[in-house]
Amino acid sequence: MSEQHSRRFSAPTLMRFPFLQGLLFPLLVIAIWEYLSHRSAAYAYAFVPIEEIWQSLLRLGTSGELFVNMTATLRTAATGLVIGSSVGVLVGVLMGVSRIVDTLVGPLYHAIRQVPLIGWIPLIGLWFGNGLFSKTLIVCLASFYPMVLNTYEGIRNVDKCHREVGRIFRLGHWQTFRHVLMPAALPFIVTGLMQALAFSWISTVGSELLFSAGPGLGGLMQTAQAASRMDVVVLCVACIGVMGFAMNHGLSHLSRRMLRWRNVR
Amino acid sequence: MNAKSEIDLSLYTRTDNIEGALSIRSLGKSYRIEDKTIPVLENINLDIAPGTFVSIVGPSGCGKSTLLRLIVGLDNDYSGDILLDDKRISSTSLDRGIVFQDHRLFPWKTVEENIGLALYNHDIPIDEKRQRVADHIRLVNLAGFEKAYPHQLSGGMAQRAAIARALVNQPKILLLDEPLGALDALTRVYLQQELQRIWLQHRSTVIMVTHDVEEAVYLGDEVIVMDAHPGRIKHRVHVPLSHPRDRAAPVLRELKEEILAELIHAPLEETLAP
Repeated sequence: MSEQHSRRFSAPTLMRFPFLQGLLFPLLVIAIWEYLSHRSAAYAYAFVPIEEIWQSLLRLGTSGELFVNMTATLRTAATGLVIGSSVGVLVGVLMGVSRIVDTLVGPLYHAIRQVPLIGWIPLIGLWFGNGLFSKTLIVCLASFYPMVLNTYEGIRNVDKCHREVGRIFRLGHWQTFRHVLMPAALPFIVTGLMQALAFSWISTVGSELLFSAGPGLGGLMQTAQAASRMDVVVLCVACIGVMGFAMNHGLSHLSRRMLRWRNVR
Repeated sequence: MNAKSEIDLSLYTRTDNIEGALSIRSLGKSYRIEDKTIPVLENINLDIAPGTFVSIVGPSGCGKSTLLRLIVGLDNDYSGDILLDDKRISSTSLDRGIVFQDHRLFPWKTVEENIGLALYNHDIPIDEKRQRVADHIRLVNLAGFEKAYPHQLSGGMAQRAAIARALVNQPKILLLDEPLGALDALTRVYLQQELQRIWLQHRSTVIMVTHDVEEAVYLGDEVIVMDAHPGRIKHRVHVPLSHPRDRAAPVLRELKEEILAELIHAPLEETLAP
């Protein structure tokens, strides 16, 4: 009897579902938000009632405006991420494998890396205008930096013992790269990719806010703010957050599959 | 099943008793640390007949692991000569296999892939490679674990996979660098028997470095006792017993005590007296 009793109270239903646990704080924030929005008209301007946000979601959703802007943002982010991280892996590998490349390119890379992305915006705007190319370039740079750094570290950290085994089996340069260096560096590269994903998403929205030509959630937000449509601004913020979360979730799933040979969890 | 594996594996037994002769002539090796030259090995002379099992024991710092690194060809900065079948060793070769104390399997490859990688540059048809990998997995009793990753294996199993990987090329000479040093006592005794069984089937020349004098005596046709600072050969002990051996044979125990006594620089009587 008492055993049954204690079991019922020691493990609340919520605790058995991590997914629901994760929803606890977002729901709390929404509740506080809703409370604040009903305090006064001034509050209602800053904390748009959820009802209004919902209405603008339905409106923008059915008109297709939201979809167009979302896909534009996604496309910029994806293009930048793919190009930036591919070039990043290439440069990182070359720097990690070849001492000459390391001494030639390394100092330049580390110097340029110190300049915040925001610092490039005036120059890039001047050179390439404020359209899609400039936005994509910013995103490329944002994903390039962490990719180079992590790939380089990964290649340099390959266990000397494993390199020796490669030599014992007479593996050539390409074979060593493919069977020893690359898989050994993969955990680092995946970490780099996770960082690159986060940076590329942030920089996509950032560049859309600053280079406002063309469609995109950042541009939509900018226009809405100018028109005092806080409901649309909040909706955009929510969309950006949810999409970023979904992408991060997907990639970490993928990385766990790719690194299933590791003895973790 | 077991009988079948024995028949298959007889294909890999070395019948040519000509190959795998190692001969070391006035070998010296030293490291430079800052401005000082520190000798690690000095005037090593050694002849090992094809197909013999030689154990090397000695105190830490006697250069026994360095000696194996030189023979396997990972380091060719030495003076004197190391000759395998009259050819000077200057780099690694598929003729020479090695097993380290840490198994050094690639964690991102399965047992099968790890062993297969050793055959990557061996010039034989792909079907034969597959067959050899399968046979050697059976040789070390790892059938059923082909697709396992190293982290899923116990220490003893990982070491057996490493032994299969070293043997799959049918090396003329197999080098064992404290292969059982990191294992618990029971696994160790079991793998010593396994090593003996595998060697009796494979019959390549084996040089094993170990800290365990009992192991050295049990497995070796000959035990080489080394001295440190600088590393040199102090004594060679012949073990007059054919394989497979009985671990409890009195000769083995006597030889073990004799070698132990020599290693701790004390006369035999003192060591045995209570």
